[in-house]
Amino acid sequence: MLELLWLIPALPFAGFLILALFGSRLSRQSAAVIGVGSVGLSAILTLGIAIRFISSPPADHAFSQMLWQWISVDAFQPAITLYLDALSLVFIFVITFVGFFIHLYSSLFMYEEEGYSRFFAYMNLFVGSMLTLVLGNNLLLLYLGWEGVGLCSYLLIGFWYKDSENGYAARKAFVVTRVGDTAMAIGLFLLFTSFGTLDIQKLLQQAPQEWTINSTQAVLAAALLLGGAVGKSAQLPLQTWLPDAMAGPTPVSALIHAATMVTAGVYLIARTHVLFTLAPAVQTAVAVVGALTLLMAGFTALTQRDIKRVLAYSTISQIGYMFLGLGVGAWSAAVFHFMTHAFFKALLFLGAGVIIFVLHHEHDMFKMGGLRKKLPVTFWTFLIGSASLAALPLITAGFYSKDMILWYTFAGEQGNDWLWAAGLAGAFITSIYTFRMVFVTFYGEAQAEITHKPGMQLKVPLIVLAVFSLIAGFIELPHTLGHLTLFSHFMHSALPPTEVLHESVSLELLLQVIAAIAVLLGIYIAYHIFIRNRSIANNLTASGPGALLHRFWYSGWGFDKVYDTLFVNPLVWFAKINRNDFIDLIYTGIAGTSREFHRQLTRTQTGRLRWYATGIVIGAIITITVVVYL
Amino acid sequence: MTATDFFSLMPLIIIATAAVIVMILIAVKRNHSVVAGVSLAAFALAFLSLFRITAVTPHTLPPLLIIDNYALFYMGLIFAASFAVTLLSYNYLKSYNFNLEEYYILLLLAALGASTLAISQHFVSIFLGLEILSVSLYALIAYVRTWERNLEAGLKYLILAAQSSAFLLFGMALVYASLGSMNINDMAQLLSGANLGPLALIGFALMIVGIGFKLAVVPFHLWTPDVYHGAPAPVTAFIATVSKGGVFALLLRFFVAIDIYNYESLVIAFSVIAIASMIFGNVLALLQNNVKRILAYSSIAHLGYLLVAFLSGNNLSVDAATLYLTAYAITIMGAFSIVSLLSGKEQESDKLEDYRGLFWRRPVLSAVFTAMMFSLAGIPLTAGFIGKYFILSAGVHSAKWLLVIVLVLTSVIGLFYYLRIVVAMYSAPTDDMPSQPGISRSVSFSGVLVLAGLTILLVWFGVFPQGFISLIQNMVSSLQDVYLSMIV
Repeated sequence: MLELLWLIPALPFAGFLILALFGSRLSRQSAAVIGVGSVGLSAILTLGIAIRFISSPPADHAFSQMLWQWISVDAFQPAITLYLDALSLVFIFVITFVGFFIHLYSSLFMYEEEGYSRFFAYMNLFVGSMLTLVLGNNLLLLYLGWEGVGLCSYLLIGFWYKDSENGYAARKAFVVTRVGDTAMAIGLFLLFTSFGTLDIQKLLQQAPQEWTINSTQAVLAAALLLGGAVGKSAQLPLQTWLPDAMAGPTPVSALIHAATMVTAGVYLIARTHVLFTLAPAVQTAVAVVGALTLLMAGFTALTQRDIKRVLAYSTISQIGYMFLGLGVGAWSAAVFHFMTHAFFKALLFLGAGVIIFVLHHEHDMFKMGGLRKKLPVTFWTFLIGSASLAALPLITAGFYSKDMILWYTFAGEQGNDWLWAAGLAGAFITSIYTFRMVFVTFYGEAQAEITHKPGMQLKVPLIVLAVFSLIAGFIELPHTLGHLTLFSHFMHSALPPTEVLHESVSLELLLQVIAAIAVLLGIYIAYHIFIRNRSIANNLTASGPGALLHRFWYSGWGFDKVYDTLFVNPLVWFAKINRNDFIDLIYTGIAGTSREFHRQLTRTQTGRLRWYATGIVIGAIITITVVVYL
Repeated sequence: MTATDFFSLMPLIIIATAAVIVMILIAVKRNHSVVAGVSLAAFALAFLSLFRITAVTPHTLPPLLIIDNYALFYMGLIFAASFAVTLLSYNYLKSYNFNLEEYYILLLLAALGASTLAISQHFVSIFLGLEILSVSLYALIAYVRTWERNLEAGLKYLILAAQSSAFLLFGMALVYASLGSMNINDMAQLLSGANLGPLALIGFALMIVGIGFKLAVVPFHLWTPDVYHGAPAPVTAFIATVSKGGVFALLLRFFVAIDIYNYESLVIAFSVIAIASMIFGNVLALLQNNVKRILAYSSIAHLGYLLVAFLSGNNLSVDAATLYLTAYAITIMGAFSIVSLLSGKEQESDKLEDYRGLFWRRPVLSAVFTAMMFSLAGIPLTAGFIGKYFILSAGVHSAKWLLVIVLVLTSVIGLFYYLRIVVAMYSAPTDDMPSQPGISRSVSFSGVLVLAGLTILLVWFGVFPQGFISLIQNMVSSLQDVYLSMIV
């Protein structure tokens, strides 16, 4: 069974190839069958492999499969090898399963769109690349997948390319993540020059032997990798691209910009955790970045009107929690939150997609309203997703994963009260903006008429993801609630467990109660403002400091403006005055010289036989001279 | 001669017999298809017979010939390429209505000459092989004598090749005069690193002229564009692969045997030739507007690259050179296949204009042609990359920095004109484009066969090269050891 591992990424790639080559000749039905089917088969295979992996784990709890050795010249032996352990298994499970349901959903959601097969071709390419990213045993292969998903993200944000704004959003996403990618590439060079290999397992073994804790190289390598992770996962200060990325079709937002690609940074840090352990300063930076991001994005989400932008900022904020977890060494907790987040955030995006779908591309929440009765399935599933996002105690998956992060942030060896307080405040804000979204969208008076009903392909993914958003948390229960450690126990074969300073059940209970109160209070506030008395919100934002703050938050803390003034405008200005790039002179100079050289040389090709014969004689004379006199 | 002698010469006997059979067939009744079929069968049989002969190698037929694995590999290359050329020629010549059948006799004989070069270890057989090859080529180049350019190319090649043969012959005479032997083995033992007298040096220099002409390296390259351009496309493919392959096999065997690396002045002469070839070839191709001429100039550059491998003079160099030559043969054969499949009696489709917008009318052909161009440019996942990689690692191993740097820089120039062809193919078609009868011609089954085979080889070589590398290492690596042990 494990030997079939290679098929998991190969199937989506095959789907991509078929759709890319013959897409224009395929009917919509067959394009959908190929696009959805390839990911579906991958998901089934993943399930089989997961069962086999868990029931009878391979030696060392990891399975390597060398697919192909390209060439072998001395020490240079590039091979493509897949590596499956607990960490990559969780990721491929989420990618293929959530991916499959989102593909299924898209088959109806995108049906009316031009470029239907192009859409599935990109989506399949994305899934294949993402699987390559998490299955590669080698940082180079990981980087290949990393760039592949970046490319697909660019292509899919700009899917409706006829609108130039979408093209702009796509370019922005590409360029901003490129900043991080460059840092990461430099990090890879550094690792390669230090260890002579990019094989992840070898790196993780060699690094602690050759580098001391806090050595310059370790700090530098970890910091550069963090740069890459921050770019891809839309964390401070490179978060600005994600809200604009919502210009893409909603299933894309669900799959790429919520469930999978944006968590690649989390995967990268978890995968190379040893390097971060060697650089405690950088690891603390990870936690601080996460804490700041989750607060910043939370406040921003409070003010957004566009339902997708609320979800986008909440994604940034939730990934902030994962970074917080990673930063305090709660590796498994971060991966756990990644998994639950993938379920409920994909669910929320798909639910939002249904609403947008039935309301003719309406994104403004304040123009929706009263949809509770008209879209019952969507409402209930969306409510479940929201509850999970807000970490409603006891019954939702989001509660268990977020609680685990908060507990380790407080009690873990690398934990810190301030970080915990930030996380708690974040949870409070999360519940406010989440239920603000629910109440504004589904309650109150209807603002718009719905024109058609969502079909089965839209409903089934919602229901399945809603079920997962509820039950996925029960595989890991805290000490206070039954103490079940299926997930973290499984993860410990790949990631080290977290050291806890004060092991105390009563303390844990206390913290949980505080967190639960914060969440419930948040929900109540949202209820009070957005159902009972809308005018409160309007008064708050109407004038004075409230309005200022609102504008500030609404613009995403002014990052775009700052970046425009600091980087974009100077660069554009420079490009303008340097229209005839002076550096280009070097290249045009080379090109010009080559042309001139070519012109002179062609004069030797006269076509005259007597000159050709003379040429040979001259050549002979030169050769003899060289041979005899040198 | 013993039975083993006959057995080991089986491929040559098959080809020679086929030439005679074709002659008799023509005398009885002219039939293009039958004649082409017999030639194809001969090349296929000869190729297959090579596998049986591995049982008796290395086998010497003193004093003229030696059949070792190295020779077998190069013969395999020659027969495979000739097979492809025959298929292409059949397709290409069909549209002409004069006597076509003699063409195949010449093709068989030319291949015979080239294989003789691969197994020669004596000046007599070398010269004989070279002349069989050249004389057949004169007629092959000028075979489609209705075009003026074609006749011109044939005549140019005749006169210049005769001139260069004179140089080669005189060089051999001088070497014989000073060493007293015409056998490569004897020469290797006589020399054993001893100093060369001026007579022998001049002799070697003149031999370099003769061989340099056949390989079309600078400064003996002037004929290349005119002949490549004027010859029918399949014959051009033959010159680029079989003729140059055979001569290069000889060059490697001869100069590795006498251990040229001991004689600095000869190495310098070859280095100058290699550098000049890489630069001149690439620069000359830069702004050409004729695909056949571009490929002619690029072949000058590619032979320069091959010389870099040869000049590295380490345990990688024979492998690297053979790998590169194999990759180059696959690629250039593919490129000329497309030119020849799009050409015919009405018109030779060789102008760059003819290829503008080709992708929009012939997507598959364009994709294949693109792959060939990428391989020539040495882009990864094609055969050309693997070949170039090996040459580079051979050069770096021996710290031949000047050669390596020139190779890298000129490869960049090369990229320009390969991509020019690719860009032309993918540029959007315009309405005022002249209608090109050749372009819309449907590709026959034999054409599809050749193209599919070459494309698969090209990509396979690029993606799963290890099998090819091991094969080549098994077959040709022995060359150096054999002659080195002889000297000691």
